[in-house]
Amino acid sequence: MNRRSFLRGAAGAGLALGAGLPAVRLRPAASPAGPSPSQVEARYYVKLPDREIECRLCPRSCRLGDKERGYCGVRENQGGAYYTLVYGKACTLNVDPIEKKPFFHVLPGTTALSMATAGCNVNCKFCQNWEISQVRPEQVDHFDLSPEAAAAKAVSSGCPSIAYTYSEPIVFFEYMYDTARQARSRGVRSLVVTGGYVNPGPLADLLGVVDAVKVDLKGFSEGFYKAYVRGALGPVLETVRAVAASKVWLEVVYLVIPTLNDRPEDLRAMARWLHDTAGPDVPVHFSRFHPMYLMKNLPPTPVSTLEAARETALAQGLRFVYIGNVPGHEAESTVCPGCRQTVIRRLGYAVDTSRLKKGQCASCGTAIPGIWA
Amino acid sequence: MASAGGRRGFDRARQKGHHGSAMGRPRVVVVKSSAVWTPAGTLDPAVLARMFARGLADLTGERDSAQAAAAIFRPGERVGIKVNTIGGRAISTRPEVARALAAWIAGGGTAGRDILVWDRTSRELRDAGYAISTGRSDVRVFGTDAGGAGYENSLTDHLDVGSLFSRILTEFVDASVSLAILKDHGLAGLTAGMKNYFGAIHNPNKYHDDGCDPFVAQVFDAPPVKSRHRLTVVDALTVQFHRGPSYHARWAAKFGGLIFSRDPVAADHAGWAVLERLRRDAGLPTLEAEGREPSYLRTAERMGLGTSAAEVVETVVGAGP
Repeated sequence: MNRRSFLRGAAGAGLALGAGLPAVRLRPAASPAGPSPSQVEARYYVKLPDREIECRLCPRSCRLGDKERGYCGVRENQGGAYYTLVYGKACTLNVDPIEKKPFFHVLPGTTALSMATAGCNVNCKFCQNWEISQVRPEQVDHFDLSPEAAAAKAVSSGCPSIAYTYSEPIVFFEYMYDTARQARSRGVRSLVVTGGYVNPGPLADLLGVVDAVKVDLKGFSEGFYKAYVRGALGPVLETVRAVAASKVWLEVVYLVIPTLNDRPEDLRAMARWLHDTAGPDVPVHFSRFHPMYLMKNLPPTPVSTLEAARETALAQGLRFVYIGNVPGHEAESTVCPGCRQTVIRRLGYAVDTSRLKKGQCASCGTAIPGIWA
Repeated sequence: MASAGGRRGFDRARQKGHHGSAMGRPRVVVVKSSAVWTPAGTLDPAVLARMFARGLADLTGERDSAQAAAAIFRPGERVGIKVNTIGGRAISTRPEVARALAAWIAGGGTAGRDILVWDRTSRELRDAGYAISTGRSDVRVFGTDAGGAGYENSLTDHLDVGSLFSRILTEFVDASVSLAILKDHGLAGLTAGMKNYFGAIHNPNKYHDDGCDPFVAQVFDAPPVKSRHRLTVVDALTVQFHRGPSYHARWAAKFGGLIFSRDPVAADHAGWAVLERLRRDAGLPTLEAEGREPSYLRTAERMGLGTSAAEVVETVVGAGP
């Protein structure tokens, strides 16, 4: 998916600008890019009087009248029943290195079948994938891909995992949940890449069918979440807490944005909170910001800022702290906390060497937490 | 095309002030007619035509339709009529109303092929009773999703708004009329002329927090809208005065009115007043009492988009010519 395919109008069907209004043609009704929403009822909502509903999937609790859509843009009240419009309607499907998600402690060196639909329940001003996350399903090219077909595709592509990623998978919850069940029945793991803005009930259900969750912790203050994410921090922290308390593997990414969420005291508080909540072994990735979407007025994060953030987190007792989006940086690699030897050496999204033996450091035998096989 | 006389009319109107009032004070004209409804419950096109003629004459101070139209549109301009059809046939800008406005504009000298009635999708237009027309010979009707239309390639990043605007607005037309429907709105309090432009962007669902404030004002203030908007007409023939924006028959009233203004804030304030009147008549609390008054109108006024203190003129059009 790229912007050109989204921005259909640019392709234009013979625009004739010289005489009055340009010529247009109607899209054939059967076009895959046309408005052909699925008709799968959403799972987390309550019906209210007068054909209204209240969504219970995420903390927004959108209360909607007939014909209205939620903040995510992919769920619609149709006559008093609530439907997901993206079930089985993938807009993106790629085979990616698992390191790209990033998951550093899950099956390193393998690929993940990575999929998404349109939609997101927040609106980060620095979104990297806004062309699919900040649009409605009918505004983006998509294709039919059932949960069964997605799981089969992972197997046929040699991917031991499926990653629900790129946009916000919580908004295609039903599709993700059913795909994860299908994947598990075929021995394929499921990885969720999420902002973590979800209610506890749906999250608990999801944790029963997936294997790993990477939470994008976008800042560590409510003010930042309100101003730049259009969400709230509290529910995200509860998600981190719930995943950490479950048997599902957790990693955390923190995109460091110059001047906005890079205050040392915030980073220190975040690292301390993570340590106390998720334990010292939760991998934390400090990722480099690049100007994007509605935030093109800031420079890329200085590498020194990322290194300082990493030092802060290590000082708080976190044992696996990485730097992301800086290819070739030594902090891309996993270092054994026992002997300080490099256990997994990474170069960008590739694993260069691995000295991990059955989940232990080959040098000193220290157990390295993660999903390794 | 508008005549040279029309051009003079436009210039005269500009001399009278940005919003077309002789005293410089923005004006809102509310035209009502109980005769607009036929015994069968349909709209009488002849009465509608008179309501438009009267409303726009009173608004511009020009009794001649061509002069009145020339006071609003420049010669040769392509005019877009943005309707609101999200509510389906029950509570959308009615096709008869859009036709009447298009006819009035055409009567003022704009070629039919240079008039475009549009909304977000052709499906919603169809569902609201519009016949889709993409030909070149007469008034055209289609949605942004029509092939060859679509959204702009680049985001408009304006204040708190980051959106792709419909190319219908940015490339297909030179002047825009917001021909809105008047409805209560559960989140915004009110949807009328200003919020109608949410249908011109690709991501309106992102702007419903905090009572849509400041987003309604900021979408309007964005160059694609602000540079083209010339006129607000609010279809208040049937008003959803409670539990909107969806249609609920027991809270929908046949008010039988059209609201005209060149001041977008003033037009919506007049619509708000109608809404409150109907709510009071039904024994309902005010929007403010329900904590959802349309605060975006205050924001819009602070931004200089219009005024809440316009001169409001109410007129009644009867059944006869």
